[in-house]
Parts: sequence; structure tokens; C-alpha cells
Amino acid sequence: MILYYSLPEKIKQQIPLSEGERIYYAVPVDIDRNACWCTDSWLVVTTGAVLVFSEGSLCETYRICDCKDASAQPRVGGGLLSIRHKGTDKIIAHYSAKHLSRYAYVARGINILISGRFEEVESREYEKTCPVCGRAIPGTKNCPKCSKQGGVFKPFLSLVVPYKKQFFGIFILMVLAAVTTLLNPEIQKHLINDVLKGSGGMRQALVFLGMMFSLSVGIVVVNILKSNASARLGAKISADLRLELFKKYQELPISFINERRPGMLLNEITQDTQYIRQFMEDVFCNLFAVLFIFIWDVIFMMMLNLKLALITFLFVPLAVFLTMVFRRRVHRIFTLQFRKNDDVSSDLQDVLSGMRVVKTYGKEKEESERFKRLSAEYARINRSNETFWAFFSPLLQLIMGLGVLAVVYFGGRDVLGGTMTPGALYQFVTYTNLLFQYISWMNRLPMQLTQLASCLERINDILGQEVEKQDEKAVADVAIKGEIRFDHATFGYKSYQPVLEDINAVIKPGEMIGIVGASGAGKSTLINLLMGLYEVDDGSILVDGRDIKTIRKSSYHSQIGVVLQETFLFSGTILDNIRFSRPDATQEEIIRAAKLANAHDFICDTPNGYNTYVGEKGYSLSGGERQRIAIARAILTDPRILILDEATASLDTESEFMIQKALERLTGGKTTFAIAHRLSTLKNADRIMVIDRHRIAEIGSHEELMKQKGIYYSLQMAQNA
Amino acid sequence: MAEEARNITDFEKEAEEMTRMHLLGADDRFERTEGGFLDLYSQGKHYEHVKVVRLFPFSDADRYLSIREDGEKAKEIGIIEDLSVLPEETVKLLKEQLDLNYFTPVIQKIYSIKDEYGYAYFHVKTDKGECRFAINMANNAVTKLSEDRLIISDLDENRFEIRDVNALSQKERRRLDLFL
Repeated sequence: MILYYSLPEKIKQQIPLSEGERIYYAVPVDIDRNACWCTDSWLVVTTGAVLVFSEGSLCETYRICDCKDASAQPRVGGGLLSIRHKGTDKIIAHYSAKHLSRYAYVARGINILISGRFEEVESREYEKTCPVCGRAIPGTKNCPKCSKQGGVFKPFLSLVVPYKKQFFGIFILMVLAAVTTLLNPEIQKHLINDVLKGSGGMRQALVFLGMMFSLSVGIVVVNILKSNASARLGAKISADLRLELFKKYQELPISFINERRPGMLLNEITQDTQYIRQFMEDVFCNLFAVLFIFIWDVIFMMMLNLKLALITFLFVPLAVFLTMVFRRRVHRIFTLQFRKNDDVSSDLQDVLSGMRVVKTYGKEKEESERFKRLSAEYARINRSNETFWAFFSPLLQLIMGLGVLAVVYFGGRDVLGGTMTPGALYQFVTYTNLLFQYISWMNRLPMQLTQLASCLERINDILGQEVEKQDEKAVADVAIKGEIRFDHATFGYKSYQPVLEDINAVIKPGEMIGIVGASGAGKSTLINLLMGLYEVDDGSILVDGRDIKTIRKSSYHSQIGVVLQETFLFSGTILDNIRFSRPDATQEEIIRAAKLANAHDFICDTPNGYNTYVGEKGYSLSGGERQRIAIARAILTDPRILILDEATASLDTESEFMIQKALERLTGGKTTFAIAHRLSTLKNADRIMVIDRHRIAEIGSHEELMKQKGIYYSLQMAQNA
Repeated sequence: MAEEARNITDFEKEAEEMTRMHLLGADDRFERTEGGFLDLYSQGKHYEHVKVVRLFPFSDADRYLSIREDGEKAKEIGIIEDLSVLPEETVKLLKEQLDLNYFTPVIQKIYSIKDEYGYAYFHVKTDKGECRFAINMANNAVTKLSEDRLIISDLDENRFEIRDVNALSQKERRRLDLFL
């Protein structure tokens, strides 16, 4: 995302830069004081001041040294940048939603400058519309239309190279298909000229018919082979890409995954690769054949009869234009139909799933009235579409046929005049038909190629991400004892939004720490850092005095056990799910872990015991049962550090008690972090850590905190009230 | 023990307070700060940087405005039932805040709509000036508020409103047809 737009000369001249002062950020202000769109207004941040330009001239200057607390506040359809200048809060810029995240970064940047540091904030987010041509960018880094290194063919070539051999095979088949298609009319010409009009007998006729027959068979065979090979190659390419993408997703840091919408990641694996397969099957398999046929078709036509060829070509622009108009129209009406259909089915789903509510409020009649309206609307559109289709489709064919009509008229005159043989005319007509047939096919090509290019770009964008690997020399396997020290740890998921600030604490080996705080205060984030899913931005986390970054990830992860708020079970058996944390565990160990987690008994009650299939489509477990399986999974590794994020939140009181007992046995000697909303769950904790507003607000034993009468105290009061 | 008891009633009071609907009227005074924020003096209290929130932004934009405290866990100070009965000066102040908090240009004229590769590019005249924007046709970018009222969200999540589709010319309606 651009944080430093190139400013017009006129603006630049008005920026008074002192010695060593540099411009860090320059972003457009697109809404003026009267809440109207405006242009040529800018917010410029230099290392010494924040400048606001309105309609091309400088109107405010705020020295960084007079400022405090810049903040970008999102509003509906836009946002406000405010700053505290000499003790007064001021709104200094109003912008539309287009610049929402841009200003969030800039506000962060201004705050860094205010704090006396000179780091420049950078944004890795992509622009949504191209700053050059204004087109939408389909989730890629560069605009597919404007990026110089792009074009359609480069990504396509990168796709082709690893499969040279297969591509070459298909290419040969395409040439064969083209040759056989083009040869047929030539033989037909001879049949007419030499046999029908000439003096050929039955024998000669049979020879020509035989040739035509074998050519037709040849076309069919070549086409089957070609489609088959293309389909196979398409499937292979998309399977390979899917696998590569999946591998990449596993390697990428979790922050990358969180930055993207999960839908997009899913689409890249499923839809984009799917499109590539489809492209190979539908488009590519004919691509060269059609181009080849098309070019030779034109050449043959000109060779046969130049005058006729030129007359035919006159109809080409008309045909191109008509097919384009027709296709656009068809696309429109069917999109419309699709939408209405969607309306009807989503309404239906709404009513059916809300049937109980509809019935209890006695609204059956209103609902059917509404549905009737939607349904009638859909029927109306459907009917008019069908009418359109029935009327215009033959009409289009008729107009396209005009070209042939002209050929027959002018060609017929030539034949009668004796300057052209009937066979040649027949051959020419066949070529003309071929020509118009392929024009409509080629018409779609640019769109399909662009779509392919953006699919490929999205995929390459992921595959091209660099993965930060741990430096093999600097890391080591370590047997953890369990002492943990937070040393000025600061972290935020987005660079401009710190979630934890300046966390300092020392946790002794074997200590149990309860973590409390309001939702969104940063409890789960603290645990994410402990699990090594993210790295701190500032400061460090030390395990047994060693920076967590220098412990090999695999070694660290094998020594921590985690039970999260949302229990995730993979599709598979209970056995698979428990064994996930340690694939080499014996059956006996698994049973012991399940017993410790208080899961053994309910597992015995399921139809297939430990082999019961769970997950999305399997045996449905209650929240508490899932939680207990997750606990069994966590304790199977006998971890040195145990992390419980609301581990017992979804259990009823009785099973919570049972698990608490189990956990008590278990947490002995292990450093344990437990997040809980229900404070009673934390009564065994050695110390409680209260997180409030991104910081540790209080830390100490239950008694100490109760004496302090702070946040923990009021939480206790609220829960006992 | 006495202290604990007081604490509990505090929570109760707070919970009780949340259920109460307090209407603001002529006695409550708004004041614009130098920096462009709005302060409120109500029942002897001074609230800094209050937020003005429309409760029915689509169906009743100038009635039922919630005046809220600043900050993350903002509480409601009170509700203004009807903007039009307030003194002109107050209306002006509140309107200014509403303009800052809500930016939803109303489309008055459609110059062109071009669709290309799954995106539609609009060139329109709005009550906030002329502008161009793009929408993703695959997403539900157009929301129907009623039979003739539309909200269009563009790629950047800016919102544009069409108050009355039937007020547009035949030509403009045909351009819009695909999205209706």
C-alpha cells in the first residue's frame, strides 16, 4: 500500500524542509470541510512536522514536537485523523474508506516520530485499485493490465515450462487436427469437379468417398486424443499447483494466513487451480489448432479466389461486432436470472430454517405473499430471457449466414461465367463457414486469457512469498525446565495496532499462572506468543534464560501442551485425534491420557470406542467431550509447559470439577498458564496475572490481589454478586 | 463487608442505568471545541468529544440520534428524538458531526457503468460531487433497502446511495439494470 504518493511540483515547493528533514508519508485527503469530494488536498508528514494542504495550498502546519497521540478513527464510509496539538485534540483530516488503512499506518508513523524514533512504517497490504489506470486489482500485487513484466504470456510460459514434453505432444496433435480439418474441403472439391461434373466413374467416386471417410474418422480420433491429453495435463498441472500451494501455506508464518481472508486462501487452492484445469481442457486444447486453422483458412480462401475472399472479409467486422453485443447481452440477462434465482432460494432457506418463528408468530400468510412476489419476479425474468433467446439466437445465425449468402451469389456468378469451378466454390463456402465458426470462438479468447493471467498471478504471488526460516546455526534443541521471563515484550498483529505493550514478568518453573482480563485485552495474544506462533516486535521472551527464538521450533513445540478455547478436531478417529500430538504413542499411553482427561468413559460409550470417527461428518460430540479429547491430546506429550485457554469453559459443572481434579494431578511440576473467565477455575493458581489495556495491570496471589482492591477484586465482586 | 456491599450495588446501579432511556432536550448544551470535536453539558456534567450515532441511518436519518461518550467502552449519554425541533445553532453543530461520522454520497446521475472482467466501473454525480468507483460484481455489492432504494458498496467499502431508482432516467436505469 502506498504511503508516500508522488506529490505535484506545486505542493512540493510549499514544503519547507530544514536541514536533514525528510518527507516520510504523503497521502491524499479526499473529503473537504463541507464533506464533499475534493482533489489536490494532501496530508504530508515529514520528520519534523505534519502539514495539511487544501486545494493546492498549505493551510495547517503542526510541528511534531508540539504533538501527541495521533489517531486514525474509522467512521461509517470514511475516517478521521486527529492529533493532540499543544494540549487540544484536533481533527486534521477527513478521508473516505479508500484510505482507511492508509491513515491507520500514517497515524502509527506519526506516533513513532512523536516518541522520538525515526523508523518508517511500511505496509505490506495491496492496493485494491490500480493507481495508474484505476482498474480493480484482483487480489494481486500489481495491476494485471499495467504491470510491465506481466502480460498474459509470461505467467503462461512459467506454467508450461515444467511440462514441455506433454505440451509438445498436444501441439503435434493440434497441428494434425488442423491439417485434417483443412484437407477435407480440398477433397470435396475434387469430388465435385472430377467426379460429379467431370467424367469420373463410380470407382473414382468411391475412392474420394473413402478418403473423405478416413479423414473424418481421422479428425474424430485426433480430437479425442487431443482432448484426452489436454484434460490429463490440465488435471496434472492443477493438482501439482494445489499441492505446492498447500505446502506453502504450511510453511508461511501464521501472521500471513491471518492477514488474508480465509476465503481467499481457500479460493486460491480450489477455484484458481480449478480454472487452470478448465482453461487447459476448454481453451488450450483448441488454442493452437484454432489459430492454425484460422490462418490457413484465410490463406486458402485468398488463394482460391481473392475477390470472393475480400468480400467475405467485409462481413467479418460485422460478425465480430454482433457476437460481442450478443454475448454481452446474454451474459447480462443470465446474470440477472441467476441473481433472481439466488434471491428465491435464499428466501426459501430463510423461511424454512425459521419455520418455528414464523409459525409461533402466525406469519405464514405474509411469508407466502412475499415468496409469491419473488417467485413471480423470477418467472417474469425467466420468461423474457427465453423469449430473447428463442428470437435472437436464430436471428444472429441468419445475419452470420449473410456472409455465406454473399459468397454464393458472387461465387455463383463466377461459376456461371466460367471463371470458377463448382468444386472450388463448394470448397470456398466450407472455408467461409469455418471462418465464421472460429470468429466467435476467438472473440472470447482475450477474456479467458486475462482471467487465466490473474489466477496465475494470485497463485504465483503466494508461491513467491519468502518464508523466514530459523537460522539453523543459531538454534538448538533444548530440554526445557520451565522458567519463563517476559522482558519488555511488545507485540501487535498489525504494525499500527499494539496488542501487548511492555510485558515484564518472571514465571518460576512449575508455577501455575492464571490470566484474567476483559475480552480483547490481549490474553490470547500473550499465549500465542508463548506458543511461538508469533515473534515479539520489541523485547524478548526467555525460556530458561534462553531467547525463545534460539530454540528449535520443533523441539520447543514437542514440549508444550495446548488446550484452546475452540477445540479443533480433525476429521478422523478419536485415536487419530489424540495421537496427533505424538504419533508414536502406544495404545496404553493413549488410554492413560484419556483417563487423565476424564475422556475414557465417554469414549467407551461411543459405538466404536477409540476408533469412532469424529469431525465434520462423523459422530457428533458435545463441546465438553471435544474439550476432553483436546486435553488428552495435550497431556499425551507430557509437556513441560501447559497452556489452557478457557480449557474448561464449555463443560458442565460436574465435568469441570472432574477435569479440574485431573488437571491438578497433571499440572504438578509443569509451568502452567490458564486463561479463564470463571475465576473459580483459577483457585489453584499460584499467581494471577491481570491484563488490562495491553499491559499487565496486576500480578500476584489471590490474597494479595484481593487486598489491593483493584481490577481483580472488582471482577471477583461482580462474579459473586 | 460494608465495602463489598457497596460494590455490588454499584454494579446493580450500572446494570439498571443501561436499561434506562434518557432523552436529551433544550436544557442540554452542545459546544464545538477548537479542534472540531463536540462537547456536551448535560445535567451538570461536562462530556468531552461526544459521538453522534444515527440509530436509523437509512429509514430515519435525522431522528433518534444517540449521543455517546468517547472511548472504547462508550456509554450512551442520551438520545435526541428529533433534530428538527432543536434550535438552529444546535442542529448545525450536530449536522457537522454527522457529516464527519457518516459519509454516504447520494447518487444523482449515472454518467456511465462499464463492466469488465467481473468488476463494474461507475462514473456518477453525487451530492458530494462527481466521482468514479468500482464494485466487485461477484460479491453482493448492491443492497436493496426497499423496492427503489439502493446502497452500493465499492471495493474500498465506501457506500453510495440511490434514493429512488425510478427518479433516474430510462437510460440510467437500463445501465443499472444488471444490478437490480
